[in-house]
Amino acid sequence: MLNYLLRRLLIGLVTLVAITFLVFGLIRSMPGSPALMAMAEASPDRTIDPADLERMNRDYGLDKPWYQAYFVWLGNVLQGDLGRSFFRKEPVARLIRQRMGPTLLLSVTSLLMTYLLSIPLGLYSSARANRPEERVLSTGLYMLYSLPAFVAALLLLYLFAYKLDWLPLFGMTSDNHQTLSPSGKFFDIVWHAVLPVICSTYGSLAYYTRFVRANLQEVIRQDYIRTARAKGAGPLRVLVRHAFRNTLIPLVTLVGLTLPYLLSGSIVLEQVFSWPGMGRMYFESINARDYPVIMGLTLLFSTLALVGQLLADVLYAVVDPRVSYS
Amino acid sequence: MRSEVRQLAWCLSAWTLVWLAGCSDPDRGAAEPAGPAPPAASPAEGQGPPAARPAEGQGPPAVPVKTPPVITTEKPATPPPAEPKEEPKPEPTEAFVAPPLAEVDAQANWIDQPVANLLDLRRKEEQGTQPPVSVAEALALKNDSKENNDKLVTTLGRVAQTADNIDYDAVLNRHIKADAKSTNPLFQSSVYEADVMGLIGLLPFTFDRDMNRFGDADVIVSWQTSSDRLMDKIVLRDDLLWTDGHPVTAHDLEFAFNTVMSPKISVPAIKTSLARLKGVKAYDDRTLVYFHKEALATNIWNVSIPFIPKHVYEKTLQEDPTMEQSPAHVELEKNPVTCGPYRVVERTLGSSYLFERRDDWFLKDGKQIREKPYFKQVRMRVISELNTALLALKKGEIDEMELSAEQWVNQTNDESFYEQNTKASGVEWTTYLFTWNLSTPFFSDVRVRKAMGYAFNHKELLEKQNFGLFEAANGPYHQTSWMSPKPGPVPYTQDLDKAEALLDEAGWVDSDNDGIRDKLVDGKRVKFEFSIICTPVEERKKLCTLLKDNLEQIGVICNVSPLDFAVLQERTVEHKFQAAFGGWGAGADPDLSFNIYGTKEGRNYGLYSNPEVDRLFKEARGEFDRGKRAKLYARIHELIYEDQPSTFLFTKNSFYAFSKKLRGYRFSPRGPYHYGPGAFSLYKVKN
Repeated sequence: MLNYLLRRLLIGLVTLVAITFLVFGLIRSMPGSPALMAMAEASPDRTIDPADLERMNRDYGLDKPWYQAYFVWLGNVLQGDLGRSFFRKEPVARLIRQRMGPTLLLSVTSLLMTYLLSIPLGLYSSARANRPEERVLSTGLYMLYSLPAFVAALLLLYLFAYKLDWLPLFGMTSDNHQTLSPSGKFFDIVWHAVLPVICSTYGSLAYYTRFVRANLQEVIRQDYIRTARAKGAGPLRVLVRHAFRNTLIPLVTLVGLTLPYLLSGSIVLEQVFSWPGMGRMYFESINARDYPVIMGLTLLFSTLALVGQLLADVLYAVVDPRVSYS
Repeated sequence: MRSEVRQLAWCLSAWTLVWLAGCSDPDRGAAEPAGPAPPAASPAEGQGPPAARPAEGQGPPAVPVKTPPVITTEKPATPPPAEPKEEPKPEPTEAFVAPPLAEVDAQANWIDQPVANLLDLRRKEEQGTQPPVSVAEALALKNDSKENNDKLVTTLGRVAQTADNIDYDAVLNRHIKADAKSTNPLFQSSVYEADVMGLIGLLPFTFDRDMNRFGDADVIVSWQTSSDRLMDKIVLRDDLLWTDGHPVTAHDLEFAFNTVMSPKISVPAIKTSLARLKGVKAYDDRTLVYFHKEALATNIWNVSIPFIPKHVYEKTLQEDPTMEQSPAHVELEKNPVTCGPYRVVERTLGSSYLFERRDDWFLKDGKQIREKPYFKQVRMRVISELNTALLALKKGEIDEMELSAEQWVNQTNDESFYEQNTKASGVEWTTYLFTWNLSTPFFSDVRVRKAMGYAFNHKELLEKQNFGLFEAANGPYHQTSWMSPKPGPVPYTQDLDKAEALLDEAGWVDSDNDGIRDKLVDGKRVKFEFSIICTPVEERKKLCTLLKDNLEQIGVICNVSPLDFAVLQERTVEHKFQAAFGGWGAGADPDLSFNIYGTKEGRNYGLYSNPEVDRLFKEARGEFDRGKRAKLYARIHELIYEDQPSTFLFTKNSFYAFSKKLRGYRFSPRGPYHYGPGAFSLYKVKN
């Protein structure tokens, strides 16, 4: 197992270097440059001095060919320095740190909610497969699945934040947040997170529920289920103890694959709810050609993707005794 | 009041943005005149059409065309303060050494210039006049016609004549669409920083609604210009304090100037303007002289140096000349030492800023030294999504917001809006246009450019796409501005026959009967097929598609190609396009347009060149009489219109929603805030 892990980690590292090298080359080859964006902000009657442009390019490391610049970047990363945002004048690591909490708050909560709801729903719809109540449930979930988060978010805001005034319209904290007690602060954030969490959860519900149900349907046709039934086990016990446990394997894969998404945030939802998350930052930095931020985030996301896959593989061995890496 | 001005300055940049843009920037902008015009429009928003960000980016291109005109003679900039050592070449070589004050005074023959409190001026202007309707009537009005808009603005927009009705404990909740990038005045670039700086920063100069320049009486006691127009001298008030209690001095300004000019710091937005100065010298704590390179009417716009605290930065800059990396600078970014009427008390990442009125701004030893700012606190809420912002406005969580044209027309007419709010609009000097690249075989001929103007269905754009909200544009300057000709040229209207005749005349005929016009260019038969680039904003794409449809009828193929702003910016700056849609804001000074229409100038994306236009710009820059200048610009306007380097489409208006508790808003050609007194005339009435 240890061997396996080491090997995977090594391959992971190589992959990581390859990904970042590729992305670095791609973004540097994209048309548009941060120096030109800076000019965009200067008054229209001015032309930036070529000397200033040159200096800016030098400051930004754009005076070197990208493959050279990549190794400078890589060297800095190895020393723990992700660089500084051109656009926001702050270290990339700090920008990412600031956004991480709010992003995780939404994504982790939403993921937990998705699992907590979709597993029982999946079991239920499996047990009641093809009956009217299951049809209604599935249709309902599908409708939700196809409802764009943007529309749902605005509708929910209109209803709960504006009409009924139960929930806040925007942001992650209230104006008086600083003056609240620790528990007050906690509830303040929860209160602000309710709608964003709902919006980022409902869409995946249908998908996960369907996933659980489909896997169960397959498992339930297996011989050992019949055996269990024949033994006299009740339907609930058969479903949960015998069948469901075997559907955990694909679910675990899914968890691993979800990992990178936990930090990537959602551009649309963050925009509508004015949530200070990672999605908008990524989007804005691409628009502004803020290379250090794009690279910092790419590194983070690719690391998570690789770790996620490794985790999924390791978890396989944990949940499925048939799998072994030794 | 003053602050407003400040904003402006800062804002400059903001305007700029707009050019082809489409991005999300705001259009408004800013501030100091510095620049000329702002760019145009804002894109995204739904607004109208769109503008492009014209200017934006325009900038300068990589192609360094020459540096700004004005300056010409000597090289670029001024001397770096501190060590220039390791920097490579481009830095200025000769350092500027200011002559002693006695010598300066002896030569200068000082002429006094106006120093005023613009809020006071407005108060005097309105004194004794009567609003067209009562406040109650104005509050009950629906803003559904020009007449109602005028009634509303002239009634609710009046400044407070007495303190009786002002709620000094009120909090103003303002809306901004994106987070400011920095609280350091030197890092200002977009309109968001400009809005923040308007509250916490300070500039010695301001300008009013008509773009007249004034010294700000809250900051300086006198402003004089030498008779040869090569120097400006200001004397600061002695009662300005930094938030840490240190006095604000002329040395802070000189220090700011030197810092900006230092080769080690990257602040191009502000530097472009200050680089037009030869130098700046603080002779004592209060006296400062600006030295200009040439005697130009535009010099008064190059003096907008923001104050930064020398006593703080002279230490920290030694260890970190970039002003942004060291822990001390990071801390200063969070808790800046500022000198404006408000201080930053809280900044919540990506969601809000809270500012508080400074008592030591208007009180000294218990005595009032300046007018008390009208709000106890100002909160800026960052809400990027305009739909969410409108809900927040209706709910009373923000007191004002800029509306998109769509919101103005369709989403702000019902009771739920008028219950707590009203809306107002004003003329803005922002013009949208198609820019033709004159270096392409298609558009090098003026007859073809004119044909484009005749082919386009202006009526459909104005009446349908723009909801009838905007006026047709008839050239680079806004019809209501002092520099446009009166009467101006008649805007183009669609006339396909004329368009076809012009194209025929220019040699673009359908010689092979395939339905597409063509012409022999350098021995090769070229089809009339080109692309027009714009930012990927729905309204803009629609507008360009209208052009495409119109041209199809006369045998010209136009492909609409929406581009990400960064790409668009690069293409225009490098002249790698055939046609582009965008907008330009007009700035405080008409000379701004030189960079757009002057031969080989930085934002002359379409490579237009008319030596007579260049000459007139130069002449106008050296003319100090506004009446005479106006005539020169009017001629420029006519010449450019005749040459049609761009098809001028329409000028947009500003649309704002205000809480019914707010009073004192008045629109300038840069919107309600970015002039003096601008946002500082706003107040909330007592309940």
